[in-house]
Amino acid sequence: MFSMLRIDTATETVTKETSDSLEYLLGGRSLSSHLVSEEVNPKCDPFGQENKLFFCNGALSGTNVSSSNRLSIGGKSPLTSGIKESNAGGIVATRMAQQGLRCIALEGTPPPNSGWRIVVIGRTGTEFLDGSFLAGKGVYEKSDLLSEKFGSKAGCITIGPAGENLLYASGIACSDPHGVCSRYAGRGGLGAVMGSKKIIALVILDDGDRKPDYVDQEKFNAAAKQIIKLLKENPISSKFTKYGTSAMVDICQALKVLPTQNFRHGVMEGAERINAQALYDTIKERDGEGKTQHACMLPCAIMCSNVYPDKEGHLLCSPIEYETMALMGSNLCLKNLDTIAEMNRIANDVGVDTLDCGAAIGVAMEAGLAEFGDDKAAVAMMEEIRHLTPLGRIIASGCKIAAQVLGVKHAPHVLGQAIPAYEPRGSKGMAMTYLSSPMGADHTFGFTLRDEEDTLTKKGKVDLSKKFQVIGSRMDAMGTCNFVRYSVRNDMTPLLDLIAARYGVEVSGEQFDDMVKKTLRIEHQFNTDAGITIADHRFAETFYVEKQPETGEVIDFTDEETLQAMQW
Amino acid sequence: MVTIVFKLSEMGTVSLDIDEPVPFSRVLQLCAQKTAVDIGGVIAVRGGRLISQEDLVHNGDQVDVFPAISGG
Ligand code: SF4
Repeated sequence: MFSMLRIDTATETVTKETSDSLEYLLGGRSLSSHLVSEEVNPKCDPFGQENKLFFCNGALSGTNVSSSNRLSIGGKSPLTSGIKESNAGGIVATRMAQQGLRCIALEGTPPPNSGWRIVVIGRTGTEFLDGSFLAGKGVYEKSDLLSEKFGSKAGCITIGPAGENLLYASGIACSDPHGVCSRYAGRGGLGAVMGSKKIIALVILDDGDRKPDYVDQEKFNAAAKQIIKLLKENPISSKFTKYGTSAMVDICQALKVLPTQNFRHGVMEGAERINAQALYDTIKERDGEGKTQHACMLPCAIMCSNVYPDKEGHLLCSPIEYETMALMGSNLCLKNLDTIAEMNRIANDVGVDTLDCGAAIGVAMEAGLAEFGDDKAAVAMMEEIRHLTPLGRIIASGCKIAAQVLGVKHAPHVLGQAIPAYEPRGSKGMAMTYLSSPMGADHTFGFTLRDEEDTLTKKGKVDLSKKFQVIGSRMDAMGTCNFVRYSVRNDMTPLLDLIAARYGVEVSGEQFDDMVKKTLRIEHQFNTDAGITIADHRFAETFYVEKQPETGEVIDFTDEETLQAMQW
Repeated sequence: MVTIVFKLSEMGTVSLDIDEPVPFSRVLQLCAQKTAVDIGGVIAVRGGRLISQEDLVHNGDQVDVFPAISGG
């Protein structure tokens, strides 16, 4: 039996429920999207009483299996007006497992003018504490204060000033193994949903005493070792260990799909100044607190994360990911890693998604508010979010709103969510994934780029995108890190063996994929019921009529093709 | 002569003599033999375009080879 703690933020009452359904067994996105679709009125106000936030760990949470402690957060998104699942690493999923929890639900909204609350979950129960001392502070300071009060090993979830002020690009920060709330479920504005419930922090104490039960411990241990072996032997995983996702800068530059100048171009002169080698060399050279390898959760045998130090060797930002290097780097024509790290740090501190804000600054630069390539102006725009100026609020509302307010037609988003770091006109497979995702433009599933025979033709891309939407959703479906997928891409057996040995439930590869497809189906249905139509699953018109200079391509998909990729 | 540039890899640049066009998969095999390194999944780019394992590589070609990772 798996447990869910329901927390009513209006009445401050807590109830516990149990279930043994397959959705609860798998956890992750399988569970969060199931719960949103069952319990949230698709037409509700994302900031109203009917929206709920579900925090779900996964099938292997709390065990010693590498990279299996991802936290899935689900709710209705203010950014896309549709269903949202956004996930993060860190230690929260582990702490939940130690408290015997598969899911925590935040429900309702407190009466107007209610104060900020902290929800603390421990072995002896759940309590509501006054959270006013955290209000208005940056996430780093909040994180320190939470560590001081609850211990650095507590699993903490918090929001920044952006979430407190209901800005649409707000994320939710989760504590990493060092007790710093730096691991973000950044996409879709779920931080603002948490803010609307007046919960400024959710803390899971480190006093849980639940150990995982195993139907066959020996078999489980053998299967866990097999995962480590697969990860260690996979040459791609070892590249992740050394360079993390930043290796994509060179790949995208070579394929002419590196977002540049508000997605006007796919190549940036001088991209080598912000590529994986530059990042690696800078961290090594500065040494100090810098780390080229770092685990966002325990245990992780891949350790793709990093810690970027400032010139004195003190921690500036952790982690810096490819998507941020592109959206806050090349997309703004910035060629300085320190600038990108500084912007990333501010984003983490004010609690916003680096992709949506990077894209919004690109739009602001196109509108003439600053020159592309102006480092100081880009950092200053991030600071505007901290000071909650009108421009800061616009940027922290994401690129769609920024484009509407600033009068920019070339707005890089689908369903209101900023396009990730692959220029869609030059990568038709990625374009189809962006168009057909129930989450708005998303890259974490349906990642076709490495498997496109010809990136410039739309031929075959509906099927290719669908194939990788399934492959890419498998890890989310059970709360495992997406980068494990390289080792089980052709055969899920090692992970399914772990599920069987832990729970005594045999799930075949086919059944597992059916579950993944069912999740996609219910997510699309939620969006349809919310009033989202195929007309929303489009890029801005400029992507259809203005050729990308380097490839000569435009988006040439029809609505019918997008609809095909949404059929499950 | 074909030149295979392995980016972000200890393999560096590998040059191969080929008499006739050969599939890229064969080129990779030859590179692995020459350097005794397990190459793994790759993204290969020639002249700004992806090439597949079946695509023919010709004398004089330069192919840039990247580890087949994804963003996050
Ligand atoms: S591979 Fe990277 S993102 Fe995944 S669990 Fe490990 S450190 Fe975290």
